[in-house]
Amino acid sequence: MSTATIDSHKVDHHGDAHGHHHKETFITKYIFSTDHKMISKQYLITGIIMGCLGMFMSMLFRLQLAWPDESVPFLETLLGKWAQGGKIDPNYYMALVTIHGTIMVFYVLTAGLSGTFSNLLIPLQVGARDMASPFMNMLSYWFFFLSSVVLLSSFAVETGPASSGWTVYPPLSALSKAMPGSGAGTTLWLVAIILFIVSALLGGINYITTVLNMRTKGMSMNRLPLTIWAFFLTAVLGLLSFPVLLGAGLLLIFDRSFGTSFYLSDIHLNGVGALTNSGGSPVLYQHLFWFLGHPEVYIILMPALGISSEVISTNARKPIFGYTAMIISLIGISFLSFIVWGHHMFITGMNPFLGTMFMYVTLIIAVPSAVKTFNYLATLWKGNIRFTPAMLFAIGLVSFFISGGLTGIYLGNAALDIQLHDSYFVVAHFHLVMGSAAIFGMFAGIYHWFPKMFGRMMNKTLGSMHFWLTFISAYLVFFPMHFMGLAGVPRRYYQFSLIPEFGIWMDVNVLITVSAWLGGLAQILFLYNFFYSIFKGPIASTNPWESNTLEWSTKLKHIHGNWEGDIPTVYRGPHEYSRPDRELDYFPQYEKGNGEPEHYHGPVTAVDNSYEGKKEKASTVFFSSFAYLFSMKRA
Amino acid sequence: MNTFFKNTLKIALALVIVFTAASFMSDVIDISGLSVEHLKADKPMFGTAEYAYDPGQADTPEKTLASKVNWTILIFVILMVLVLANAMDISKYTAKITGRETVNQTNVNKWMMLIFLILGFIGVIWEYIYHGKFILMNNSSSEHGVDYDSMFSITLILTSIVFFMTQFLLFMFSFMYAHKEGKKALYYAHNNRLELLWTFIPAVVLTILVLRGHQTWKSVVYAEENHKGKINSVEVFAYQFGWKARYAGEDGIMGMSDYKFISGTNELGLAVKSEVDMLLEELKLQIIADEETVKNLNTTILDGLMADFAAADGVKNYKSMESIQKKIDAVKNGDRLSDLKESIERKKKQIERILAIQNDEKIFASTFTPAAIDDIIAQEIHIAKDSLVTFNFRSKDIIHSAWLPHFRAQMNVVPGMPTKFTFRPTKSTAEAKAENDEEFDYYLYCNKICGVSHYNMKIKVVVESQAEVDAWLKTQSSPFMKKTEVVPAIMNDSLQMTNDTLKRVALR
Ligand code: HEM
Ligand SMILES: [Cu+2]
Ligand SMILES: [Cu+2]
Repeated sequence: MSTATIDSHKVDHHGDAHGHHHKETFITKYIFSTDHKMISKQYLITGIIMGCLGMFMSMLFRLQLAWPDESVPFLETLLGKWAQGGKIDPNYYMALVTIHGTIMVFYVLTAGLSGTFSNLLIPLQVGARDMASPFMNMLSYWFFFLSSVVLLSSFAVETGPASSGWTVYPPLSALSKAMPGSGAGTTLWLVAIILFIVSALLGGINYITTVLNMRTKGMSMNRLPLTIWAFFLTAVLGLLSFPVLLGAGLLLIFDRSFGTSFYLSDIHLNGVGALTNSGGSPVLYQHLFWFLGHPEVYIILMPALGISSEVISTNARKPIFGYTAMIISLIGISFLSFIVWGHHMFITGMNPFLGTMFMYVTLIIAVPSAVKTFNYLATLWKGNIRFTPAMLFAIGLVSFFISGGLTGIYLGNAALDIQLHDSYFVVAHFHLVMGSAAIFGMFAGIYHWFPKMFGRMMNKTLGSMHFWLTFISAYLVFFPMHFMGLAGVPRRYYQFSLIPEFGIWMDVNVLITVSAWLGGLAQILFLYNFFYSIFKGPIASTNPWESNTLEWSTKLKHIHGNWEGDIPTVYRGPHEYSRPDRELDYFPQYEKGNGEPEHYHGPVTAVDNSYEGKKEKASTVFFSSFAYLFSMKRA
Repeated sequence: MNTFFKNTLKIALALVIVFTAASFMSDVIDISGLSVEHLKADKPMFGTAEYAYDPGQADTPEKTLASKVNWTILIFVILMVLVLANAMDISKYTAKITGRETVNQTNVNKWMMLIFLILGFIGVIWEYIYHGKFILMNNSSSEHGVDYDSMFSITLILTSIVFFMTQFLLFMFSFMYAHKEGKKALYYAHNNRLELLWTFIPAVVLTILVLRGHQTWKSVVYAEENHKGKINSVEVFAYQFGWKARYAGEDGIMGMSDYKFISGTNELGLAVKSEVDMLLEELKLQIIADEETVKNLNTTILDGLMADFAAADGVKNYKSMESIQKKIDAVKNGDRLSDLKESIERKKKQIERILAIQNDEKIFASTFTPAAIDDIIAQEIHIAKDSLVTFNFRSKDIIHSAWLPHFRAQMNVVPGMPTKFTFRPTKSTAEAKAENDEEFDYYLYCNKICGVSHYNMKIKVVVESQAEVDAWLKTQSSPFMKKTEVVPAIMNDSLQMTNDTLKRVALR
């Protein structure tokens, strides 16, 4: 604890120092800002813009899948030579899918999610004046911004953007004659990703250092909100795995531009002839890629899980169930995620024995995930749930996490993956568990911390509508895809109408596309709500959700250094809601009590009168809902 | 009680309305008007009418049901928007966004949770029943597929139980424990026994699944090693964008092959001496042509291009002007030159490496055996029912993946790395046709993104008796047996290129 104390003093001083030279220009305040709150907003806005683009791309290529033989003239207006006659060119279709995947995975759900909320919450929730290195933090954002620009600029390239899938497997991505998108488009993709990695590393180092060294007095690791645990472990994952992608990318650049053969061997290309490359292995790339790629899905998911833990606990007015178990699960997931990458490669022709090993470790990951799910359910049980938009999205996240997580049990099973690999089943799986769940975590975070970021409230009604429309349409889009995959429909197909066997899926494809457009249009509610509320929303109160965590102890107006006076001391864990020994149903971490214990261990006084006097046992959790259904005591 | 009853009635009423509307609409209205206006409206959006793709399915009851359900969903969503808008009194908000709550949001959301739970479960069950019919389960056409299917069913049952249970609890809890004024939640931070319980149960279940999966996986991937007797083998060759099957000829031995031997007439790069010699000659000619081009690049060729440009300019053919301009630019900025140089280098290297094989006696003898000469190359894969067959995969260019969904078989096809898959087909094409319909056929699809025509890269697979396979093989060509036969039309880009260069040289 002593280190933390010393550090917070040091930082105090730093904060004071800032008080003196207060001359901020527009540029230092809004553009090259080193303030973590401003950087967080920059990440968020960039992320939202990228998200809209990524979503719009999926809406465009979904048109092609639903009406493969029709002409949609506005596409030609929009895409020019890539959609002559109103039909998307197959090369461009692949480019859209690739950039859609890249944007969603890296730009929205890695940078947009982690970047926004780690930046906003780490200093505020651990009680620090700013990040460990504000300057590096600023660099991190600008590398991200540059990277986004480079990626998008590939749409201006004559041969089109990268189009070999978001995984960019060589040899397809390595040979510019294999596919138009593998020319300059892929070069830009690689440059963008390298810039992105730099940004992720700069950010990650900062997050880790800040969490470890800059916690305020009393903020021991076991009093950290779960958000911080999640961001911390996410940063560790990123720091250890992104460099591997950097290596993979550099070798790919060598192969593409300098004639090396890391990934290339024995290739005879149409229109070119036999290439001289020999001795390389395309499978090597896949190992390197998935060494990042698998942790990456947890880099996406864990912050969302952290956010939803916090949001659910606050809005259910209950301590998160099994705080320690939640942390252990997160640590378990983080560790395991480094040794399971091979489940993406069961059928690449690697040694079947390796496949066996990867299958074992992969299915072990399901255990901590299951624990988390049950803990969420137990947190809701006998809560006093406030349906704020954030809470709705967090509940949606749990639902997606269940639906998508369960299909992971199929895909992690090497035997079942023989059939399911690269089918639409996979598309359904990752969109639910990684795509939808993490996006919902992000929405939950935005609705929850909007007052902290902008000092105003977002509209609840629009928020609820946004939730229900998005939730329903996401299920309509992705649930039927399971069945397509199981019936033998491969993914990354541009058109199914050439294959008569797939005819039965034509109307499902239409349904999916219509739902995707509905879901897409529903985001207008969000955008309107978001931007309107930034300027015109009702002024927020300091602690609008009656939350326990430290960030709500700061003033509404953002200042450098976050707290005007001393940084508050922390007296207890983050989830002390509805303690029977208190009048109020929350107990902020920074509020000094009258000698109350950190956790309440007194007799359980059942508050819910229908279960008066009963002790909470395992079976009660499960059966109370059934009991309720049949007795309907409360209606 | 009262409110619950009322609300149930409301939901029931809404459902009745939705279903009536849906069945009415799906019978009467062609929804194509609803799609983008300019669409050629010759196909309904949700169809009862016939699809060109799928004539067999047209007016079956299921089709109508599907259409009704699609309609139901669409109408339901629209209704939901209206109900939500109404319930949440949206009009007041659009006029002025304030923070005040004019309706009880808790109630609306709470009931939505329940409605979503019920309708969601109905939807999921409907999917299980309706689309579940199409999924490949319990109808495998291969031996290990039966095992696979049972593995799949076990997983499906277990995960479905967990799915329904946990989703039920999630939405029920959300419904039951919605905020009430004056209520206080239960302070309940942890319960170690409970947590152990739900760590332990998933762990046990997953252990069962993983052990079972391990068995199946082993039986599939070690099928070849575990089998003592003879195994039929087929080489399946993938290229952008198609598949070829190679069978050993009369001699029963598959000849050697090498990607460096691939030429217009030798698409699979078989080690046939005469072919390789021809290729060497061709390469040498190409090098000469390329060198010629390099020499004249900045003189004759550039002049020619300039003249072409002027001609195109004369008739204002902008498209060809643009493309010619590109060529001129490539010459001027040196791209063309470096391309040519690289191409010459590449070809020289190829010659060198082919010669290295030919000049080393040992390697020569083991490569250029007579085995390749009678090999059969086919556009379909025919395999014998009930006998084990190994597909040996080879890729010409990019990673492809050979997926045979009906056989529960898939393996990547990787350039520079031979892969294989062994299985025993147990259901002949005829039997499968009888089970499905006359149109039915087995196919092998490409399932790894490989370029522009990835979506259209498949080959027919026929399962029949050994005798039928043998008879069919007799009708297939062994391209190097009778030299006069066939120059395949596909895949001769390189030949095309050669001809072009030769022509150009000849012209000068
Ligand atoms: C707006 C809602 C979305 C729709 C309608 C949608 C739809 C699709 C579709 C149809 C594909 C192509 C599948 C294939 O043929 O392989 C795809 C690919 C993909 N999507 Fe989405 N998606 C959406 C949101 C997301 C989100 C939120 C993520 C975040 C993880 C995401 C990540 C991906 C990835 C990684 C791919 C694979 C790209 C590739 O094959 O290289 N999508 N999406
Ligand atoms: Cu993975
Ligand atoms: Cu292919």
